[in-house]
Amino acid sequence: MELAVAAPHLRPVPVDREAVSPDAADAELLARVGERDREAFEQLYHRYVRSVFGLALRRLGDRGRAEDAVQEAFAAIWRSAASYRPERGPAAGWLYAVARNAIIDRFRKAGDPVAEVPELVSAEAGPPERAEASFVSWRVHRALETLSPREREVIELAYWSGMSQSEVAAYLGIPLGTVKTRTRSALAHLADVLEELA
Amino acid sequence: MNHPDLDELIGAEVSGAERDRLRHAHELLVVSGPPPEVPPLLERGPTLAMTLGRPRGQVRRRAALLLAAAVAVGIVFVAGYASGNQSAGTSVTVVRTLSLAGSGFAKNASAVLEVQPADAAGNSPMTLVARGLPAPPTDGYYAVWLVRNGKPWGSCGEFVADGVSRTISVRLTAPYQLQKGDSWVVKLWVPGAQGFGRTVMTPVSA
Repeated sequence: MELAVAAPHLRPVPVDREAVSPDAADAELLARVGERDREAFEQLYHRYVRSVFGLALRRLGDRGRAEDAVQEAFAAIWRSAASYRPERGPAAGWLYAVARNAIIDRFRKAGDPVAEVPELVSAEAGPPERAEASFVSWRVHRALETLSPREREVIELAYWSGMSQSEVAAYLGIPLGTVKTRTRSALAHLADVLEELA
Repeated sequence: MNHPDLDELIGAEVSGAERDRLRHAHELLVVSGPPPEVPPLLERGPTLAMTLGRPRGQVRRRAALLLAAAVAVGIVFVAGYASGNQSAGTSVTVVRTLSLAGSGFAKNASAVLEVQPADAAGNSPMTLVARGLPAPPTDGYYAVWLVRNGKPWGSCGEFVADGVSRTISVRLTAPYQLQKGDSWVVKLWVPGAQGFGRTVMTPVSA
């Protein structure tokens, strides 16, 4: 029988601070995390948890180990946030570097070999290409978090369900033209966010 | 899987620089692959443990006695916090975790069912975290069924999905004495349909 105890999760603690805007930029959130603002940390966490988990999964090849690595990565982000300098580059790149290092460090310290999981681009790709592919996935998955549920739905169905646009329209019960409009809008939104994260 | 064609996706209405921008986003989507399903524990939010570390650059060497005392205080604090959380229902003991995958009507759905220990009366609380469940047809709903010896044994509760929320989390109860080998499925119940409804989510083999 499996027995596991979940770690306690953060709860909002009243503090004398200005509330964090849901639209706050990543850099602003990081600055507040650097001042030990848990609300900002929680917001940043939800923006990036999928990207961090995806990165850990690609590096480690195991969901259980990846889950542990995510904990380590966010602990590292919490500890290091005050060292982020916006003038040196976008927050997404800084977060990627901290998370990636934490994921690798954790398993090196534990003496656990880091799996050489082929990246999605090509099994033949060398380390620079694999690093680039990891960062692309990181940015794309982060950007997907910014889409509205309706936009994200058409993107996920169009790219990863194997459905044609007509099938997506039938599945969602909306006109084909609406699917195309929504897809255009979603791609434009993604393009905007990806430019910001680059 | 075949990748979608940009021309089919957006038609011919967009051209020039804007089309190039959309093509770039399209190509990155193709290269990146789908985002992973995040485990329910991670979906819930950051943990207290993540924020116990001291900021880098502020770490000072302390006398060994003071460090030991700080660690002891930390352990007591965490234990107290965990205990407080448990009584508030946010920290749970899980005796069984089951992954489910959708099919048919819910073919894009996935879920994780966590079963907690039975209470004194014999009720086993459960939490189902599901992703990608479409809204059921009018007046329809989903039902989680205990499966024993390969057959539906009894309902553990019903719920609905709005088809918009990416992830939903529902609390259910198994009012049965659970046995080794018990499993669960999610059925779609639509008024007027015959029988117990269609099974739309089944366990994923380990």
